[in-house]
Amino acid sequence: MQDNQKPNISSTADLRQEVAQLMVECLNLEVTADQISPDAPLYGDGLGLDSIDVLEVALVLSKRYGLQLRSDSADNQHIFSSLRSLADYIATHKTL
Amino acid sequence: MTTPAILSAWAQTPERSNMLMLRAMTWISLHLGRRAARVVLHLIAGYFLLFAPASRRASGSYLKRALDRPVRWRDLYQHFFTFAATIHDRVYLVNHRFDLFDFEVHGEDTLQRLLAEGNGLFLMGAHLGSFEVIRAMGRMDKDLRVAMLMHEDNAQKINTMLAAINPEAVQDIIGLGHIDSMLRVRERLDDGCVVGMLVDRTPADDTLYPVQILGSHANLPTGPFRMVALLRRPVVFMTGLYLGGNRYSIHFDLLADFSAVERGERDAAIQAAITRYAVLLDKYCRKAPYNWFNFFDFWRATPPKSS
Repeated sequence: MQDNQKPNISSTADLRQEVAQLMVECLNLEVTADQISPDAPLYGDGLGLDSIDVLEVALVLSKRYGLQLRSDSADNQHIFSSLRSLADYIATHKTL
Repeated sequence: MTTPAILSAWAQTPERSNMLMLRAMTWISLHLGRRAARVVLHLIAGYFLLFAPASRRASGSYLKRALDRPVRWRDLYQHFFTFAATIHDRVYLVNHRFDLFDFEVHGEDTLQRLLAEGNGLFLMGAHLGSFEVIRAMGRMDKDLRVAMLMHEDNAQKINTMLAAINPEAVQDIIGLGHIDSMLRVRERLDDGCVVGMLVDRTPADDTLYPVQILGSHANLPTGPFRMVALLRRPVVFMTGLYLGGNRYSIHFDLLADFSAVERGERDAAIQAAITRYAVLLDKYCRKAPYNWFNFFDFWRATPPKSS
């Protein structure tokens, strides 16, 4: 509930770069962080992550930023839709 | 699960008449008793033997490996009958008629010890024997909660089938293919649930790992093992082998415990777990050869889409 009261903050380019770097490292992606387009889909077509990759990213991001990503959030589809939306979510919800 | 096999293979007719047949079988099974219903199973096994050449070839090619001797017609018949019998027994298991069966359980202490830790665990099975007998374990342990992880289209078929057998039967199913499927799995585990899956069939898009099963090269999917490693849980191999009559032997074997496996050791631990899965699959195939329910050429280079 309290999550909804947080204002939507747009992520900075620095945070997007940092998140992209974490994803590249934890998934051993064959692209560099700055090759990940902020608005390309992460899941399925696009970067081509599968649900296990998403889990791996979620675990790493939860630890790094103190997030609680839950499956009952209807927003997951949106949060993981692109690097930009993922970084925006982190900017709004991070506790670390 | 074996359900897609029932729906697509049982009598090889369109799905609606399969459901009709399933309902009819359920009625016969519950009202006339297991013995009378099993007469019908012999007809089904005979039908397969005569009119399902592709299944017959797959059966022969598997049995030649598992039995390590020339395959006879009665072996093929026994194989089809075992398949039909275990599917049929699901009717009773789903309706909690555990009293009809004689279950011998091996490795229950392993299961209980890991469950007592409270962090949940994974059960990995195969299309070998009956995974449904896990329901019988719930009779001994009332707190045992099992969620099955499977592809979404199979989940829908399972629910349709369960509704036909027992409208009150519920199966907690986590569908794969959603962005947050794995987050759901993690939450079930955090609640102390068991998450079960059958991992011997390989989805077209999964990375494969080569193993030896029954003396031949085969491929197993790495995805399920990666998931277990990431979620850092113990994983137990499970099979419920049908031994004839009303007897099943249920086996639990620890495959791996990823609870303390750090990132750097992960890949090696995953490979070790897949190899052990193959060893156990091999062992139980030889122990109860007619329980193998992959009626396609399992050992061919490109496996079919998983179910």
